[in-house]
Amino acid sequence: MLVPMVIDGVEVPEDGADHVDHVGELLQRVAAGDDTAFARLYDMMSSRVFGLVLRVLVDRSQSEEVLQEVFLEIWQSASKFAPNRGQGRSWVLTMAHRRAVDRVRSSQASADRDVRVGFRDLEAPRDDVAESVEMRIEGRRVAEAVAALPEAQREAITLAYYGGYSQSEIATLLGSPLGTVKTRMRDGLSRLRTLMGVTT
Amino acid sequence: MNESTFAELATGFALSALSPADRRDFEAALAEHPEWEKHVRTEAETVLLLADAVEPVVPPASIREELMARILVTPQTPDAASESDEEDFAAAGPAPVTAPARASTGGMRRRWFTLAASIVAVLALGFGAVTIGQQLTRPAAVVALEQIQGASDAQSASVALSDGGEATAHWSAERGEVVLVSDGMPVIADDQTFELWLVRDGDAIPAGTFGATDGTATALLAGAYQPGDIIAVTIEADGGSPTGEPTSDPIVAIATA
Repeated sequence: MLVPMVIDGVEVPEDGADHVDHVGELLQRVAAGDDTAFARLYDMMSSRVFGLVLRVLVDRSQSEEVLQEVFLEIWQSASKFAPNRGQGRSWVLTMAHRRAVDRVRSSQASADRDVRVGFRDLEAPRDDVAESVEMRIEGRRVAEAVAALPEAQREAITLAYYGGYSQSEIATLLGSPLGTVKTRMRDGLSRLRTLMGVTT
Repeated sequence: MNESTFAELATGFALSALSPADRRDFEAALAEHPEWEKHVRTEAETVLLLADAVEPVVPPASIREELMARILVTPQTPDAASESDEEDFAAAGPAPVTAPARASTGGMRRRWFTLAASIVAVLALGFGAVTIGQQLTRPAAVVALEQIQGASDAQSASVALSDGGEATAHWSAERGEVVLVSDGMPVIADDQTFELWLVRDGDAIPAGTFGATDGTATALLAGAYQPGDIIAVTIEADGGSPTGEPTSDPIVAIATA
């Protein structure tokens, strides 16, 4: 049975046979100066980008600024997206994460940053966000997989990805050797792949 | 560096967690061994899962409106064909938010012709990271100036500024563009900016903001010029007048015909 599944507002068949990169296609149109495509891309990705940026930065007004920066950069540099080298979603979310981390490291806020930020548990998905059930289930699966990582690996990964800390900062925070932190991250991602059944 | 060390750096890279020194080593190694990119890709795909685990949050609708307006006046980087060696996941780099303006001025200009009305609204908004002024004082203005001067109906007019400087407006009705070149602009506070206006039928239409370097500036006015417009400059709070109307008397006013 083929149940339509909606990812970022785009229906894809549940069996995953449709690997059309909708975001990637839109990026190519954006690169050609198509503002309608830009609007669609924004509608498709903005709440994902905003959620991620907000997660790293916590501060809402800074997050709104970074959200704008990210989409403005997408508009400016969409021609750098190489469809043969990755999916559009990945390109957009990677950029969003980089910009959020840049901001958290450069802003005054970073000095006052609550060390605990990286340790916060991933909140349980709420039911009032308009998103497909399937996507939510996927997000929950990942959150569960992250929670299932050994503590030391989970700590290193969440401090880096959600807290915006560099590996050397994390080593200092945890009082662990840098090499250990690096290894924990690598092992953690590897385990996450296994837990999520990602084939590479 | 061996491949296993590289794979470890790739993890840090994917998580945006490399120290600057490791980052340099990582990039150097990748340049030397492009085949190692597979490690980067693997880690990036896994890290994407971490992004998916975050709850989406719907941003305020005003941001969409601002962005849709801003892209109309934001030039795009030309086709990256010549930059095929650009690292993967190009977002990775600390890319400047302001893009090179050359080569896309044609596209921008067309937008300005057709979308002048909406641009007026755009420029009244206070912008964050990129001020229109930064763009206006970049080569786009110089390119536009050359194009205006090359137009068959090019015209210019100058006025003396109160403290010794001079401002010259160059315009072409055919191109619908105005560039203001000035020197000896007054010194303004850090939280102030120069704002351009097209005064038409008694209404001042915001036309972008700009800053001066050592009192010198070359600024392309945003918005389509129409014959008879008066080109004016006022000093406003950073980001431009919040009301979309001048809040002080102009320091430059040049009538065109």
